[in-house]
Amino acid sequence: MKKITVEYGVDSITKQVESGFTFGDLQECDSFKAALGFGDNTKALVNGIEQNRSTVIPDGATVRLETAANTKA
Amino acid sequence: MDKIEIIIRDNGTLTERTIRERDLKAEGEVLDELTADVTRSQRNVLAIPGWGVAHANVGLEDIIWSVAINRIPLKARFKLVNSVLVPMFASMTELEMPMVWTAPPEVRLVFVVRTTVEDGCVLVGGNWLFAYSKDHNGYRLPLPNLHDECTICTGQFEDSYDTAGQALVASLEQFNRSKWNADLMRTVAQSQQFFRFHPTNETFETLPITASDWTTLCDKVSTAIMDRVLL
Repeated sequence: MKKITVEYGVDSITKQVESGFTFGDLQECDSFKAALGFGDNTKALVNGIEQNRSTVIPDGATVRLETAANTKA
Repeated sequence: MDKIEIIIRDNGTLTERTIRERDLKAEGEVLDELTADVTRSQRNVLAIPGWGVAHANVGLEDIIWSVAINRIPLKARFKLVNSVLVPMFASMTELEMPMVWTAPPEVRLVFVVRTTVEDGCVLVGGNWLFAYSKDHNGYRLPLPNLHDECTICTGQFEDSYDTAGQALVASLEQFNRSKWNADLMRTVAQSQQFFRFHPTNETFETLPITASDWTTLCDKVSTAIMDRVLL
């Protein structure tokens, strides 16, 4: 297990997750979605750098989620 | 000018080290690099006639302008349902009407413009519409023509101006005259709970939002631009 902090807007949450938990897992995780209110279209950043969905989140990391741009329907 | 130092190492070896110093003429570039992400906020920079004042967040590359607005011009198709006029953005048959939705105090609307300067001209780099709650979270309103991160799909308009003031006025004029169509539309149900009007003898009055918590009808958003918005 590892502890991560996730920020979305002015809200944040710190939680224990499985050690193999990736940025993609976070972006799809219903409990984080419910707690922070983000949707399906997000990008994950650490220290301002966008992260790959398949990358495992380091222990103790602070992840900032942002709403991603979409294209015209 | 050279400076010579004699160093006695741990093993007793004597070493001569020559240090050469010269001033580099690169203060500007180095400072720009070190302060690339630093921005400065200035409130009440410009008055926009008919809308209010614009606050500025000044970065090295651009300026983010925030204008608190209290209404949204809604040129769209509407339908009367049980004496309440509601939008029908995707309709091709309902009557198109130039309605103006007045925001209740708990919905803090901010119209945002990004400008850059190129060849002496001020360029409009994008328009955003955010709704803020009392706890300072930002939301995307249940409107079409708004991207997920709240960029307004404004359609084509002139993007080059002599001054930032002209760029802001032009952006708000485009916002004022644009028609809301079905582009980027999701479900209209949330829009119809949010944007409601009651016909009176001479005009239409904005009705309260049906949900007790208006944010439940919106999508919470978080973007880098929002960090630079001044409420």
